[in-house]
Amino acid sequence: MKILIDDLEVEVTHGETILTSARKAGIHIPTLCYHEAFEGQGRCRLCLVEVDCRGVKQVVTSCTYPVTEEITVRTSTPGIEKMRKNIVMLLYKQASASTILHDMYLEYGCSENSLSDNPEEKCMVCNLCVLACEEMGSSAISLIMRGTEKRAATPYDEASEVCLGCGACAAICPTQAIEVIERDGYRIIWNKKFTLLKCQHCGRSFATEEQLAYIDSKGKYADPDSLICLNCRRKMTAEKIGIFT
Amino acid sequence: MNNWFQEVWDQESMHKELIVQPERCTGCRTCELICSFVHVQEFDTTRSRISVFNFEKAGFSVPVVCQQCSVAACMEVCPVEAITRSDRTGAMVVNHDKCLRCKMCTIACPFGATIYDPIKDIIAKCDLGNGDPMCVKVCPSGALTYQEPTQANISKRKAYAARFKAVYEEVG
Repeated sequence: MKILIDDLEVEVTHGETILTSARKAGIHIPTLCYHEAFEGQGRCRLCLVEVDCRGVKQVVTSCTYPVTEEITVRTSTPGIEKMRKNIVMLLYKQASASTILHDMYLEYGCSENSLSDNPEEKCMVCNLCVLACEEMGSSAISLIMRGTEKRAATPYDEASEVCLGCGACAAICPTQAIEVIERDGYRIIWNKKFTLLKCQHCGRSFATEEQLAYIDSKGKYADPDSLICLNCRRKMTAEKIGIFT
Repeated sequence: MNNWFQEVWDQESMHKELIVQPERCTGCRTCELICSFVHVQEFDTTRSRISVFNFEKAGFSVPVVCQQCSVAACMEVCPVEAITRSDRTGAMVVNHDKCLRCKMCTIACPFGATIYDPIKDIIAKCDLGNGDPMCVKVCPSGALTYQEPTQANISKRKAYAARFKAVYEEVG
């Protein structure tokens, strides 16, 4: 099936979203809450586009709109740009401490208004951390509360039993809102303090017990009896190969 | 675990292979330099996908690089299937857009050949230079070669692999 995106003819398969087909064709649509590992969420609303379907025009989130018939898409009309500008302004007011949103606020030329900033907040409630945790098989965090108080957290903000301490949530966060503190052989994330396991060779801390258990559960941790960091592992491989040369 | 390693080494792929002959390696680290230059546009050997270890006293050098295992630990532990085998080159390649950066693959790799590049924020591993490995081109001593899996090459590879296997029999 062929659709028109910004006057460019793009070949799409039935059910594919506008966003993925546009990206394949090299057309840029801005997003914050979209990640390729997951389906579109339609949360940040930045990916809004104008769809013309048999003469009926509507504005949709391109990350959740599956293409099922021949349509014409415009990714950047004056109307869409104005809406995006408003969205960026609102996201910035929600998470003013975030650098990326601050940069976008300036880039989109958002104007001064009476809404108050949220100076400490970095989270824009995009839900990506929750999805990442779910994908790791843990679901230690979820979005809690409603309305303006909505945020991602562990149950009752307590240390979660199922958290692996892998930090995928922090790595995926588009606004770097999740804090991972790593020092003195500890890793603190979501109010949980992990004692990091030390490499038997170099003594550097390299992983949490939960992480190794996760790998073990997939049956793939190479030598469960010894704890070796990846640098020493590589060196050991070389050493042993050398001996047998 | 033994079965798994057996499978890794007994593979006979149809793709060209990066064959390492450590006895030919002079330890010059040119492969590390070109690898980091091709992948991160910098001469930064800490972010290179191939590592050379020099043992000055014993007088030998060994390049360590991803073995593109047929049953790959990195692929098995990946929660989102971001690591897949390329049909074209046979290499295990990382889809950086899909990757969650949980870094499980870096811990799971038995050779430590999958690393995390903190500057680019990506999982870095040998992708066989997308079918054209520069490390092979610059290797001055022929320790690295990229060849069709002919019978002779398979036996060379198996010789290298046998050492790997011995390593893990000793460790395990």
